Amino acid sequence: MANLKIRYTKTERARQKKILKVSERMLPLFEAMEKSLMATINSIAERIDEIREEIERNSKAAKPWIAVMSDSWVNIDHFISVNEIITKPIDVAGVRVQQFEKVDFNVMPVDGATPLWVDDAIELMQEQLQLRAEIKCLEEQIELLEEELLDVRARIKLFENRRIPNAKIAIRKIGQKLQDDERLTIATAKVVKTSRQKEESV
Amino acid sequence: MSSMVYLMCSLPSLTYGQVPPISLDEFNADAQKQLSKKHFKALEAVDIRQTDGQTKDLCKKSIRDMLSEVQEDLLEIRKARSENRQPKLERLSTVVIAANPLEREKQIMQSQWEELSSIEAGKTFSLTEVMVYKLKLQILSRMHSFNAEQGAQVLASVVDPSIKDED
Repeated sequence: MANLKIRYTKTERARQKKILKVSERMLPLFEAMEKSLMATINSIAERIDEIREEIERNSKAAKPWIAVMSDSWVNIDHFISVNEIITKPIDVAGVRVQQFEKVDFNVMPVDGATPLWVDDAIELMQEQLQLRAEIKCLEEQIELLEEELLDVRARIKLFENRRIPNAKIAIRKIGQKLQDDERLTIATAKVVKTSRQKEESV
Repeated sequence: MSSMVYLMCSLPSLTYGQVPPISLDEFNADAQKQLSKKHFKALEAVDIRQTDGQTKDLCKKSIRDMLSEVQEDLLEIRKARSENRQPKLERLSTVVIAANPLEREKQIMQSQWEELSSIEAGKTFSLTEVMVYKLKLQILSRMHSFNAEQGAQVLASVVDPSIKDED
């Protein structure tokens, strides 16, 4: 504020008033945007927690039979792999993010000699891989939203700590200066008038 | 015949569910030493996972029939699952359908074990007995490979490839 250079003119005062008006109108919008981003981030984080719980539930359900996955006859790696994670772009709280759609898997067909447990394992692995892919997408969404949140917070700080106070100070100072100038002009005019009247009377 | 007797007498007996007393490689090495080339070739062709091939030997045929009937049952279970109906099983008990994947595999192996025991009954010191021994050893080796900790690692390596990369 110490370095604030003010031009003490009526035009400048009008300009500062306009800045103040716009800033005071924009600040609540940015504050609302901040709230919306925070709420969205929180709800995404909750969804991530829910998915993690689901992964845990699936793992617990598979625990009684997980030993079969080390079957020396089968290399389960050969039966399933992820081909592509399919997402679609959407706008969340004004930010463009990728929403999880599904996972495209490469699943090898099983023949009669393939043990039955392979079918169950493929099903479980598809489920777990889908859930993990969804978490990854949601984490990326949070990352983007947090970047936007930082930007919005920086703007709020700018309005709260600089633009609005600076405009208010400038308006006050210009007002005072213009008032002082007006008084000085009136006083000078009065002095001139008085001295003219004196000269005329002499 | 005498080599067959020597081989079978030198092999440890097998009980369902036990830790394999010898490895398949050890068994094959012993069999190769004791059996004729012809018998060893016939033994090599026998595998619990393979049901193809033609044979005139009645015992070998009954082994193949039993294995292929189990595989047909597995196909029927898969088909019934996809068609959302109850499977009609030839060889396996319907109990296997309700069991969890591990118990199901154990029940299938036990059923195969019992069938193999009935096939070898009365055929002491024959090639059939040696073949059945090999198949039973394959069952035990497979059963012994089931391990919860290793199974969890296999699952983790597929669903979380970062774990696999670290290894």
